[in-house]
Amino acid sequence: MSATLGNRLLKSLGAASALSIAVGAGLSGAQAAELKVMFQGDPYEITIITDVAKRFEAANPGTTVQLINTPHDAYNEKIGAAVSAGSLPDILQLDAPFLANYVWSGFLQPVGNLLDKALVDDMTASNVAQGTYPIDKALYAIGLTDSTVALYGSRKQLEELKIRIPTSVEDAWTRDEFEAALKTLSTAPGVKWPLDLFRSYGSKTEWITYAYEPILVSMGCDVIDRTSWKATGTLDGKACVDAATEMQNWVKQGWVVPQSAGQNQFYAEGRPAALAWGGHWFYAEANAKMGDDVVVMPLPKFGEKGVSPNGTWIWSVAKTASDPAAAGKFLSFMLQDPAYRDAYKAHAGFPGLKSFAAASPLYADKGAMAVAFEQAGKTAVARPPHPAYPTITLAFQNAMTNIFDGADPQAELSKAAKKIDDDILDNDGYQPFGKAE
Amino acid sequence: MSTVVSASTPSPVAKVSAKPDIGAIVKFVAVLIIALVVISPLFLLFVASLKPDRFQILADMGSFRAFWVSEPSLQNFTDIATFSGALPFGRYLVNSLIILFCTVLGGVFLNSMAAFVLAWGRLPGRAVVLTALIGLYIVPQESIVLPLLSLVNKVGLGDSFAAQILPWMASPLYIFLIYQFFIQVPRDIYDAATVDGASPFRIYWSVFLPLSLPVLATVAILLGIETWNQYLWPLMVTQTDYARPISVGIASFFGHDSVYWNSAMAASVMMMVPVLIFYLAFQKWFVSSFISSAVKG
Repeated sequence: MSATLGNRLLKSLGAASALSIAVGAGLSGAQAAELKVMFQGDPYEITIITDVAKRFEAANPGTTVQLINTPHDAYNEKIGAAVSAGSLPDILQLDAPFLANYVWSGFLQPVGNLLDKALVDDMTASNVAQGTYPIDKALYAIGLTDSTVALYGSRKQLEELKIRIPTSVEDAWTRDEFEAALKTLSTAPGVKWPLDLFRSYGSKTEWITYAYEPILVSMGCDVIDRTSWKATGTLDGKACVDAATEMQNWVKQGWVVPQSAGQNQFYAEGRPAALAWGGHWFYAEANAKMGDDVVVMPLPKFGEKGVSPNGTWIWSVAKTASDPAAAGKFLSFMLQDPAYRDAYKAHAGFPGLKSFAAASPLYADKGAMAVAFEQAGKTAVARPPHPAYPTITLAFQNAMTNIFDGADPQAELSKAAKKIDDDILDNDGYQPFGKAE
Repeated sequence: MSTVVSASTPSPVAKVSAKPDIGAIVKFVAVLIIALVVISPLFLLFVASLKPDRFQILADMGSFRAFWVSEPSLQNFTDIATFSGALPFGRYLVNSLIILFCTVLGGVFLNSMAAFVLAWGRLPGRAVVLTALIGLYIVPQESIVLPLLSLVNKVGLGDSFAAQILPWMASPLYIFLIYQFFIQVPRDIYDAATVDGASPFRIYWSVFLPLSLPVLATVAILLGIETWNQYLWPLMVTQTDYARPISVGIASFFGHDSVYWNSAMAASVMMMVPVLIFYLAFQKWFVSSFISSAVKG
């Protein structure tokens, strides 16, 4: 009796399994053209990406786009969870410095052959750099935009104090000029802090590496040696310790807006902060409050040459994408979509495509941000394109936060360098990046 | 009658000694100041939600202008209170309410049933189960999120309401809280119901549940607040707007370029109001339950 029941149960389960496999196969066949797109962004970006997905669906009947909008702050955690749960989407947006880690981990596939050739040819050099994996030199991601950091000031204030306003990368302030300007501004009426380094973005944010690493590089060092891929001897070397000590000194002098003061000190009433070390996006905020008084200057030359950051959120195709050709088609459609471009143009998107740059008056010759665009072409240095980057950036963030808070620069940078090297060692050098020891 | 009259009539002694009580005034002022300090962030949130210009909100921070709005506007609310579009906050709010309602209702039922079995059921190794249950309380949610996500995806519950409701209904803390209440009920009540022929479920449903309304209200409130404020799990499990709660939706205003304080403030007010109503509705039960559990009878 029980054996018969058992057989019946097994047969039923078998039939149910067969049915579910058949239904599943049918469904997967019917939904083959469904693209899952994971992204983050400001509210206006969410709107324009939602709109472009609708236009793509209308232009490609049968293909559906499922948008997975994930808040910016928890985006990388969401990617990690998606990988662990085996639910990586077809297309994913990623922060450029994390590209090497994702490619090394096997999440992504090259997109050069999936995209329209004209689009690839249209990319600026810094855009190509942010989307290229250094080992195989293949393009794994693309974006309409790139980014940079510039120095903002009040034209009126600087002229009144007779502080020279640099107009090109070549005549950027030197280290001495920069510090002299901070000193002069610190005594100017109404100025509470001469410089806003946007510490209010937080102590554990990519901003710290993105915006401060160029100071180290300009002073002749780096967070890691980009040939040997060792941090010890570089990040804790004399040049970096001097750079960090100098930055700590700015804080000790009371020249830097503290983290607790918020993000608005440059344009708040009375302008308590005289200069702002801000991303290209900050121009729109400052301009909205200060109008044409805002002047955009290149980052100073702390050593022999100036250095600026680049890299932003770019689009890639997962290795597990169900239909890579459709994914490439969607990206090509989106990045060439006129309404998509117009929306980014309206929000001062930093050009990553030559055609987009030509259509962006803000960045064109004599545009308010022209010097920032010039800077990206001449002095941009990408963050280290290494799979250990998540560890590198976290170690650097912790070190700089502690240094700003008064800790010993040498000790903090040594600790960070060791942490980075330990991670690389733990992963056998992230071959083929380094030689395993 | 006479007792009532004497209680409500001030005594002559009280009239004679009715001088300004400096101590009471100082206490009152101190409490008032503390209350103002505590309330000020909420007040600031509300005021900021009425300022449409996000740059102005930022510019006002750091001065008393942060607590003042010269031209109040509901534009932030009307901008975000949509049920469709890129950020449908109306939908997020409704989603949160659905998740809250189902989790609290199911949670109160499940936890109280488990507590009843532990307190009064014939359960072999009850002490071990109870100890293990309390031990579970120390496991942080973050440590089980990834395996749980994998499980949820495997059973096809990804991006659903069920995925946000089912895993969090049962909780060791609430089972233990209700268990503590149940074991204090006199044995005679349980025995009398048994003699009357009531089944264990009937005893639980008709006798123990009505007796335990204060503790159930406490569980409802604590579970409700916990559910309402959930962020990590809904963030991981939701993919689309279909079941996304408002807590995850609000994070969209903290972009990589800038923070949209005006929208975030309005959304925060929208998120705060239902939980405030929920708390006020259950406040009496909440306080009385804590008093009764704190005072040993």
